[in-house]
Amino acid sequence: MSDRTYQKFVARWEKVIDLPPQTLGPLTPLYKACARLLKVMPWPYFVLLSIAVVIGLYVVVGSAITILVTLLQRGF
Amino acid sequence: MLDQLIISGIAFSRNTIGLVVRPYETYRRIIDKGSVWELVFIAMLVMISAFRFVVAAGATYVLVVVLVWVVGHRIGGRGTLRGVALGWGYTFFPTVVWFFTTSALFVLLPPPRTTSVAGVVFSGMFLVFSVTLLFWKLTLGYLTLRFGLKLDLARILVVAGIVVPILGVYSVVMYRLGIFRVPFI
Repeated sequence: MSDRTYQKFVARWEKVIDLPPQTLGPLTPLYKACARLLKVMPWPYFVLLSIAVVIGLYVVVGSAITILVTLLQRGF
Repeated sequence: MLDQLIISGIAFSRNTIGLVVRPYETYRRIIDKGSVWELVFIAMLVMISAFRFVVAAGATYVLVVVLVWVVGHRIGGRGTLRGVALGWGYTFFPTVVWFFTTSALFVLLPPPRTTSVAGVVFSGMFLVFSVTLLFWKLTLGYLTLRFGLKLDLARILVVAGIVVPILGVYSVVMYRLGIFRVPFI
């Protein structure tokens, strides 16, 4: 192994052991699946989740969401 | 000093794109190699978007960083204050985008919103936009604690469980004082 490759390996190894992988017992695969989606270009998932949240809010409070938006628009 | 400022400006631009496209990898780089000079550019963005309450926004930033740092260290965090300060500084991006957009919409489509079809549709779109930015903010906040303090998920939730109620009370106080309506956190 050349010195340069070895140095790269050591740098990578130090990075890995500096922050141990996250484990959550039986939920670890689920966590890893969610984390993988958010690591690169997470916007489609953010938007889809937001649409679901807002539809849920609309189902619960109906057209009263306009009151919330009025408050937020006056919020600065 | 000028050299550092220019280098930090380039890093800031690169990180700005990275926060959108590859937040995980970008945050790792910010915490590992970021310079405190990058905070100058973040401060400039905050000054533009929150010019009416820039001092309060700065004070809130210091409060959050100190709180996160103290609580994080009490429960076993191992990072640096520089990392937390930089990481939390970059979480201002969603906040700045939201305040910019809301300011523009206040001029273009001033409130109040009505319960007409157009009013409800606009409200829905505005809320989708706001919640999307909230998710982005939460992700960046999580990455700040994960890389800045090297905490696991359980400890991150503990930090959030302590810091969020304190910030809630702080936001109410600021609201009562007439400084923030929506907190600039």
